[in-house]
Amino acid sequence: MSETPKPDELFSNIDYRPPSSGWMDTPVDIKKGIYSYAGNPKSLEYVGLPFARQWNPIDEDWSLPENWKEIISKGFRERLDRFRSIKVFMDICVRCGACADKCHFFIGSGDPKNMPVLRAELLRSVYRNDFTTAGKIIGSIGKNFKKIIGARELDLQVLKEWWYYLFQCTECRRCSVFCPYGIDTAEITIMGRELLNLIGLNIDWIITPVANCYRTGNHLGIQPHAYKDMMDFFSDDIEEITGVKVEPSFNRKGAEILFVTPSGDVFADPGTYTCVGYMMLFHYLQEKYGFDITWSTYASEGGNFGFFTSHEMMKRLNAKMYAEAKRLGVKWIIGGECGHMWRVIHQYMDTMNGPADFLEEPVSPITGTKFENAKSTKMVHIAEFTADLIKHNKLELDTSRNDHLKVTYHDSCNTSRGMGLLEEPRYVIKNVCNNYYEMPVNTIREQTFCCGSGSGLNAGENMELRMQGGLPRANAVKYVHEKHGVNMLSCICAIDRAALSASVEYWVPEVEVTGVHEMVGNALILPGEHKRTTDLRSEPLPGMEDDDAE
Amino acid sequence: MTLEHIDLNIDLDDEGYLRKFEDWNENVACALADKEGVSQECPLTQERMEILKFMRDYYNKFEAFPILRAVCKNVKQTKDCTYQQFPDPVIAWRIAGLPKPTPEVLAKIKHDV
Repeated sequence: MSETPKPDELFSNIDYRPPSSGWMDTPVDIKKGIYSYAGNPKSLEYVGLPFARQWNPIDEDWSLPENWKEIISKGFRERLDRFRSIKVFMDICVRCGACADKCHFFIGSGDPKNMPVLRAELLRSVYRNDFTTAGKIIGSIGKNFKKIIGARELDLQVLKEWWYYLFQCTECRRCSVFCPYGIDTAEITIMGRELLNLIGLNIDWIITPVANCYRTGNHLGIQPHAYKDMMDFFSDDIEEITGVKVEPSFNRKGAEILFVTPSGDVFADPGTYTCVGYMMLFHYLQEKYGFDITWSTYASEGGNFGFFTSHEMMKRLNAKMYAEAKRLGVKWIIGGECGHMWRVIHQYMDTMNGPADFLEEPVSPITGTKFENAKSTKMVHIAEFTADLIKHNKLELDTSRNDHLKVTYHDSCNTSRGMGLLEEPRYVIKNVCNNYYEMPVNTIREQTFCCGSGSGLNAGENMELRMQGGLPRANAVKYVHEKHGVNMLSCICAIDRAALSASVEYWVPEVEVTGVHEMVGNALILPGEHKRTTDLRSEPLPGMEDDDAE
Repeated sequence: MTLEHIDLNIDLDDEGYLRKFEDWNENVACALADKEGVSQECPLTQERMEILKFMRDYYNKFEAFPILRAVCKNVKQTKDCTYQQFPDPVIAWRIAGLPKPTPEVLAKIKHDV
């Protein structure tokens, strides 16, 4: 982060005045700190994507295939035919501007091409030119008339502009909430990125995790023996903190339930503490109620960066969830705290890789609750599962062990806007800790602000962009920090846990980031545990210090 | 790129990672630590060497970047040992002569870009 401007500087540099030239006449300026590095050709090759090559976004020459315009044009046509939604979204925008100031990247950068309407217009202008009757007729009169109907030809500058701005959208869909027509700008970004992938223009932070995931089952490239070793480390941690030995099982055939979570949870803090929380919960349930769950070192990734590449890649990477469920013969699946993972599961998986008719409709073996909402996917979010346990008084909790925390909750874009999971995480948090404060209403639930680094933009080289995009969320965190003394920002997404850790440290350094199940783990009283003197981070619990140590 | 130091020829890639795992030894570590601006002492302190050796063993076994607090726990140092000793875990990784981690690893641990 060494070259990123300091917060004050970044904040005072935001300029909402648009340039004096019209948007079509303002050439794209690809800036360091904003763009992400080009995809590693080896990763593209690994998953069979076309035109793998070394190229640099700031070079004039992108080494494009000679017929790139033809490829894009054909791809555009195919997608207009395939996705009715895209055709409608291309046609119906009246450019009212209701979305303009709803995007975190526009708010944090002031760059007008980050207004969702204008970002979409970058593609729509080419659509008008190439695929509408008006565009064809007016275009035949003369090039200068095109602008009247908002049309323009696709050329290298336009392509570069697409690339630059489509990788400045996190597909969070906050803009769609405010669109009177319900235009889903995320879908426009998704399609635009698909087109770019046809000519080898992905970013490395997406395509290398995709290649890793295809090879090892997870984005980080963790192999089975390493996955097991990492979990063993957490087991030792749990034993030190609680005195209880937890022994999760892996790839176990005949287990009742399969658990799938993002790989970030087993690798990086603070996600690792969330993972520890899951392990403790499952152990508790096993001891008390004979709960029967297995982890998988093959379906070792809940997230799906294929979703940020193309529909086909998403399908390919997602397939392992049902495949592993089938192989192990489980009845249904629980999924961990993740964001875009749930958009894929909730909105695509069933029709894409299902029907999973070899699985049963999920019923909690402990409470008997039937998860009607997961009837077709057969996959239940752990926040729903845990909320149901608490509702039925199945967990013994000592909430005072979270008393050092003043907590707020960040709705992950995909679980809130993508699947309507609004109450369950809040219900869990309020039952495991005593100090909970909401951020302002226009920044939570379906209006939640993105972490600023979703949809594959959580790289290092684009840190200025990430801090710009993280500003609106951090600003709401700052508000509750100043008003209520909030010191912990909770979330149910692995990307959030990594992204918010950086943006909150930058904008509101007094606040830390946690997953919800870390707080569950803090409060949960394991059978046979000794007196706890620390939380799951091995930090001393105020008022519960070890008497023996004195 | 070749780094001339204490009569060693060290073969690094464009981003400063040692090309061959087996080219590493304690003198190479000293040279790399000097290049990275971490230390001009040779041999390196015991605390640093323990971290480097653990990272190498871990990589050799798992081809993966370890959980940072697991590194510190294994070498019996404080939880933030990689930050305290290097002060960037990715620099420690480079001095340990290991190849560039996958970009998601780099983004998920706190380090200078």
